[in-house]
Amino acid sequence: MKRLGFLALPLVTGVLAAQTPAAPAPAARDTSRQPVLSTPIPAAGTLVAVTNATIITATHGTIEKGTVLIRNGKIAAVGKDIAVPAGAQIIDGTGKYVMPGIIDAHSHSSGEAINEGSRSVTAQARMEDVLREDAIGLYRSLAGGVTTLNILHGSANTIGGQNATVKIRWGLPVDSLLFAGAPPGIKFALGENVRQTNIGNIPGRTPRYPRTRMGVEELLRESFTRAKEYQAEWKAYEDAKTLRRKGAKNADAEPIPPKRDLQLDALVEILEGKRLVHAHSYRSDEILMLLKVAKDFGFRIASLQHVLEGYKVADEIAAANTGASTFADNWAYKLEAFDAIPFNAALMAERGVKVSINSDSDERARRLYQEAAKAMKYGGASEEEAIRMITLNAAWQLGVDKLTGSIDIGKDADLAIFSGHPFAPASRVEMTLIDGRVFFDRNKAPTLEYLIELMKRRPRANTTSEGAQ
Amino acid sequence: MRLTPAVRALSLAAAFLAPTASPLRAQSDTWALTNARIQTVTKGVIDKGTILIRKGLIEAVGPAVTIPADARVMDLAGKTVSPSLIDLTSALGLAAPTTGGGGGGPGAATQQAQSGPRGLEPERDVARELKVPPADVKPIRDAGIGVVLVAPSRGLFRGMSALVPLRDSVAEADVIKPQVAMHIGYQGVSGDYPGTLLGVIAYQRQALYDAQRQGALLDRYRTAPRGIARPEHDPGIDALVPVVRGQKPAFIEASNENEIRRSVRLAKEFNLKATVVGATEGFLALDALAGRQAVVSVNYPQPTATTGWSYRLSQRRGLNDSAAATGEVQKRLEGNAAALNTAGVKFALASGGTRPSDFLGNVRKAIAAGLPAGVALEALTIRPAEFAGVDQILGSIEAGKIANLVVSNGDLLADSAKISAVFVDGIRYAVAPPPARPAGGGNAVVAAQVAGIWTMTLTSPQGPLEITMTLTQSGSTFSGSMASQMGTMEITGGEISGRIATWTTILQVGGQSITINYRGEVDNNRMTGSAELGNFGSGTFTAEKKP
Repeated sequence: MKRLGFLALPLVTGVLAAQTPAAPAPAARDTSRQPVLSTPIPAAGTLVAVTNATIITATHGTIEKGTVLIRNGKIAAVGKDIAVPAGAQIIDGTGKYVMPGIIDAHSHSSGEAINEGSRSVTAQARMEDVLREDAIGLYRSLAGGVTTLNILHGSANTIGGQNATVKIRWGLPVDSLLFAGAPPGIKFALGENVRQTNIGNIPGRTPRYPRTRMGVEELLRESFTRAKEYQAEWKAYEDAKTLRRKGAKNADAEPIPPKRDLQLDALVEILEGKRLVHAHSYRSDEILMLLKVAKDFGFRIASLQHVLEGYKVADEIAAANTGASTFADNWAYKLEAFDAIPFNAALMAERGVKVSINSDSDERARRLYQEAAKAMKYGGASEEEAIRMITLNAAWQLGVDKLTGSIDIGKDADLAIFSGHPFAPASRVEMTLIDGRVFFDRNKAPTLEYLIELMKRRPRANTTSEGAQ
Repeated sequence: MRLTPAVRALSLAAAFLAPTASPLRAQSDTWALTNARIQTVTKGVIDKGTILIRKGLIEAVGPAVTIPADARVMDLAGKTVSPSLIDLTSALGLAAPTTGGGGGGPGAATQQAQSGPRGLEPERDVARELKVPPADVKPIRDAGIGVVLVAPSRGLFRGMSALVPLRDSVAEADVIKPQVAMHIGYQGVSGDYPGTLLGVIAYQRQALYDAQRQGALLDRYRTAPRGIARPEHDPGIDALVPVVRGQKPAFIEASNENEIRRSVRLAKEFNLKATVVGATEGFLALDALAGRQAVVSVNYPQPTATTGWSYRLSQRRGLNDSAAATGEVQKRLEGNAAALNTAGVKFALASGGTRPSDFLGNVRKAIAAGLPAGVALEALTIRPAEFAGVDQILGSIEAGKIANLVVSNGDLLADSAKISAVFVDGIRYAVAPPPARPAGGGNAVVAAQVAGIWTMTLTSPQGPLEITMTLTQSGSTFSGSMASQMGTMEITGGEISGRIATWTTILQVGGQSITINYRGEVDNNRMTGSAELGNFGSGTFTAEKKP
């Protein structure tokens, strides 16, 4: 109860907007002895058991009255009759639902800068460099059961910066956010944001190339052509070095290494399949264009982001082994978003696309489970399919599906514990665990009553940030 | 030769009058400061001793020093002499950064409009452009500071600093050491790449790789030039070569916790000989600073400006006892140096832009918060000398070192200490006691007047923007609005402290709200300053008040 005061405000908007019923009467809270500047970082238990809960695994159905056993941050056992070793920290899940920690494949919740807009190709920029651990959106997401985020560069550039896959280890220093096993990735963008349709000409300012969708394709091809030349330059250098090492007679003098170019390094990693591409896209024609460019240069697009017209080209997306990360029913906020339909997620999934539902917003990130439920309502996705849209499928898109995204033995113990079924309107997140460590516990967070009292006493703070969709 | 009584009287009078008329070396550059309590810093305290100064250097120091006949004797009974202080954070005598007239994309128009430094000139050599008006020197020197390290205060590769003695007129010839360190920071350039923190760090990384390669090519070309293309000369990259070789210190300005962590990451990645400058939240990043050195600013941030999730939340109004929380944060900020000291971080103390009249007061706050006074004095003298690579000639009272001294009654860092004189290069500058405060103890600083209509040009990575700003002022606060093609924004939190005006607006663009923090320096009807545009980088502005 000690940290009541600190966490009060971040939750105000979160709790109220989720329209939850009044919480069960909590034990009396002593708010007077709250230590200033306390840092309530939860201890890491080596052995944790969530018992007697309904477990939504995302891969092998739902287990009633089951147990998840966690050892050293990994899931050690899951099932109905799991013996809990003595000394384990028990989290009583009676009446509760446990699902894999939610993964948001599109977030801007943790950056001191989002977009380096001075150039249209900024593959050298890295979100990892500019992360911040104190962004309140992170805590709100955690309170909404989110454990992993894809922190993306903005969508103003054709080839934007490198993304950072993070786990919300709230309360720890910024370096602790990074998801150690996640492969590197990068942001691409197409359409109106890149060609700056909605910005218009500013007097005295030279418009940035490209200004049309044709230009976007040209810039992509030009960039990867440069990358191939650069790749060849390095290969020639390595070959010359090898030749010399072997003492070949015709070897030149010690070769001079090419200039290392951090932008082209990132593009070469894409060509070599080492860096995942997450591409902001809307229209079906530009989606096909990007898939063609990628095919021509021999790389794969890991995920199309937004992809509101994905339902029109779902077969082509599936054939390219590309994921789709979309909104549940967000639409018409600009011209290229007019053909969106809420059936998009379910339709793409039906055609074999690995679909995720993302937030791109501090606000939606708090209730992604409700967004996923819409895929059942519109288009009739199965419950497990809808669950995967905010867990395993997103993990696959980020290349971390071997590590998280479902409740399976050996995976990281990233869990969200709900008061009821995650898709039921009145349910809410009770506890969020990352690597078996409790980073959010509603019992230790402030009560709704207290928050309402606070709201009455002071004006509401507005600190929400949204990405440019 | 025998002098007539009249002539003797005249010359005596001249000798007597000279020191007060002008503190010139020409008169006599030999001083004997006798009967003083001497705080040598490196060799302990001499309770009653003499310092002999000749030709700007300390010739002798000790309890029993023979006083030569030509020395002017200053009896300092009851006074303490310490080495004068060294401030490694100064922008004395540098022109304010250019705001640039262009902006926008990387067009030719932009290039033309940009004149003067943009904070992206690693080759900039501050020593070559020093123009220091004596009026600017005096208040700093009066605070006991004898030497400052001058470096540009904004930008990502700001150039190389100069160590400057605070004499009344300083020219390039007086510089103690040019090109002391490469100064690095996190501000982008206006209207060009890199515009945001993302671009800034990417640019720095690329430039340092380029410098590594350049160093290797230059070495190779030096040893065996025949048969290979000569390396291209690039002043900026060439200036960074000694930095990546760990020969030239890198002074990286980093104040808040995450900046400190970023700068340490950069230092590690390139094995730089790095000093973190600012480090006002160093106590939050002790793990990152372990084994490193820092120049710690005593310009404490406002508690509300601190970063870190627990801090921010504890600052929220409406939570129980926010005054106590603010006080607690203030205590932690003032205890920063003490925390670094306990953690074994090697550090110098510096003004970090504190007003000279507040400087020693802020140092005393650090001492009150737990920093041992002895460590504080070292951190103001021998430590900065070491960091600047001049500890052989500065930073303590030892024979052979430069005669930079402060005379005070009592320990220099004691609460009641008053400075009566400062010696720089052996030149004595008297320090008059500060003027008495006006009756009633009111704040002597009068807030600038900003009420009226201003036309402003804001240059940001998004291009230039013409803004009409309408302000009304009430004492040290103001309100009003800013109108541009982006719409009309209301000003919140407008405050004036002396000549500095700060305010905030929130810009709504395409469903996003961007908080813009402005900071301007008011000079009658003109204002220049900077704007922090959150995720969209930073910009600069100039404004003029309509008559």
